[in-house]
Amino acid sequence: MEFSTNFTHWDWAIVVIYLSGSVVIGLYANRYIRNMADYIVAGRSLRSYISIATMLGSEVGLVTVMYTSQKGFTGGFSAFHIGLCAGLGPLIVGLTGIIVVPLREAQVKTIPEFYGQRFSTGVRVLGGLILTVAGVLNMGVFLKAGAIFLTALTGVHDPTTVNVVMTLLIVLVLIYTILGGMVSVVITDYIQFIVLSLGLMLTAFFAARQLGWTHIVQTVEKVHGESGFNPFAEGEYGLSYVIWSFVLFGLVSSAVWPTAVIRACAAENVQVVRRLYTFSSIGFMTRFILPQFLGICALVYFWQDAVGRELFFTAEGGVVDNPDLTLKAMPTFLAQILPAGAIGIVCAGMLAAFMSTHDSYLLCWASVFVEDVINPLMGGELATRTRLTLARIFILVIAVFLLIWSLWYPLGQDMLDYLAVTGGVYASGALALLLLGLYWERSSNVGAYFALLSGLFAVLGLKPVQRQLELADRLGFEPTGAQIGLLTLLLSVGTMVLGSFLFPNASAKWKES
Amino acid sequence: MIDNWAAFWTWVLIITAILFSCLGIVVAIGGFFDIRTLLQTMDRQHQDTEEQGGDENQK
Repeated sequence: MEFSTNFTHWDWAIVVIYLSGSVVIGLYANRYIRNMADYIVAGRSLRSYISIATMLGSEVGLVTVMYTSQKGFTGGFSAFHIGLCAGLGPLIVGLTGIIVVPLREAQVKTIPEFYGQRFSTGVRVLGGLILTVAGVLNMGVFLKAGAIFLTALTGVHDPTTVNVVMTLLIVLVLIYTILGGMVSVVITDYIQFIVLSLGLMLTAFFAARQLGWTHIVQTVEKVHGESGFNPFAEGEYGLSYVIWSFVLFGLVSSAVWPTAVIRACAAENVQVVRRLYTFSSIGFMTRFILPQFLGICALVYFWQDAVGRELFFTAEGGVVDNPDLTLKAMPTFLAQILPAGAIGIVCAGMLAAFMSTHDSYLLCWASVFVEDVINPLMGGELATRTRLTLARIFILVIAVFLLIWSLWYPLGQDMLDYLAVTGGVYASGALALLLLGLYWERSSNVGAYFALLSGLFAVLGLKPVQRQLELADRLGFEPTGAQIGLLTLLLSVGTMVLGSFLFPNASAKWKES
Repeated sequence: MIDNWAAFWTWVLIITAILFSCLGIVVAIGGFFDIRTLLQTMDRQHQDTEEQGGDENQK
C-alpha cells in the first residue's frame, strides 16, 4: 500500500544543489590537513560555538530523526522521557566536568588512547577493537533508515533507484571525509546544523498547527492509554527502560560515545569542554523531543486516515508490531503534509544530516582502528603518512560493509533499541573503564580486561540473537534490551572491581604519569 | 493522572522549542566566526611548524 507525495522535480533540484554545495565545501577543507592531529581533531583548535554546532550537527542526523520519531509513534508522549534523560546527562557532564575534562586534560585523541595511558597497550588494543566492531555494527542500520526515509518522502519505490541514491550519498561522504578529515566534518556539520534545526522547528510547528494540540493529546490517549503519557506505566517502557535511558542516552551518548567525546578532545581548552556540554544539553534533548513529536503527529494523522489506520494499526486499535513499517510513518506523514519546495528543503537537510552523521562516524571508527589497534600492534612506529593512508582505506572498507549489512540484517526491534544494544556492547565496558580508571586509583589492567569483555554480553539484547539462542525459552521470559543493558553495565563494573582487587597492578601508573 | 502528564509534556515541548531556537541563533552566528578563527589558527600553526623546520609527517 503506497501513499502519494508532494515531492516534485523542483524538490529534487533543491536536494542536488544543496548536497553538491556541501561536498564542495568539504573538499575545500583538504588544504588544511597536514598531520594526524589536523585530520582527527582539527589541530585541537575548536572554540565553543563551532564545537556545539559540530557536535549537534553529527548527533542530530537523519537516523536520529528516524528512530526517535519511531519511538514517538510507538510510545506517544511518554517517549519524551528519553529526551529529558538525554538533556540531563550532558548538563551534569558539563556542570561537573565528569569524564570529559580529565580526558581533555590527558590530551588524548581517542578513548582507547586513554586506556593505553591509564592501563596498558593490550587494554588499548582490545578496547579499540571492541569499540570499532560495536561502532560499525551500530552504524549498520543507518543506510536502511536513510533508504526508508527517501522512499517514503519522495515516493520513489523502485529499490534499485533507492540503492543507487544511497550508494551515491555514501560515495560523496567518502570523498570529502577521506580528503578533508575533521576540518571538512566541522564545516559541513555547521551548515547542516543550521538547515536541520530550522527544518525541524518549522516542520514541528506546521504539523502541530495542522492537527491541533487537543486533537493530538486525545488521539494519543485513545491509542496508547496511560502508557502514552506515563513512562513508568506498563506498556512500551517501564522503570528499567527509564533508568537505561538515563544511563545510555544521558551519560553514555554524551560522555562515553566516541563521536561526542572526540569533540571534547578537539576543544581548545577545558572551559570550552564544559561550555560545550552545558549548552549542547539543549540540543541533545531537542534531538529526541522534536522528532518524537513528529512521530506523535504521524500517529494522529494516520489514525484519522482510513488507509493509514489499516496500515499502521491493529484491529484492536494498537500500533502494529512491525519496526520496518513504523519507521516509515514519520517520513510518509511529512510527504503528505509539507508543500512542494518545503519538502525539498527538508529532504536536503535530512540527507545532508545523514551525510554529516556518516562522515563523523566513519572518521571516528577508522581513526580508532588505526590509532588504537593497528599502530600499537606495530609498536607505535607508523609514520603519519602511513596512518593517514590506513585511516582512509579503512573508511572505505567500513562503507562497503555498511552497504552489505544494511541490505540483509533483519531489524526485528525498534531502531533505537538496536542502536542502544550495539552501543551497549562498547559502552558498558567503556563506562566502567572511564569512571573507575579516572576516579579509582586501584583499578587494574586485569580488571579493565574483565570489564571490556563483560560488555560483550550486551549483544544478547538483539532480538535475532535472542531468537537464535532461544533465550526466552531458557529464561522463561523475554528479556528487553534495557534489562540486558543494565545487567551488562553492572557486570562490567562488578568484574572490574573484582579483577582489580584480585589482580592489582604492580605500580600506580596513572598517578605517576 | 493523564491530564497532569499531558500538561507536563506540553511544557517540556514548549520550553525545548524556545531553548533550541535561542541556541540555534547564537550558535549560527558564533559558529561562523569560530570557523574563520579555526582556519586562521590552523594556517598559523602550519606556518610556525614550517618556520621551525619541523617535519609534520613525523607527528
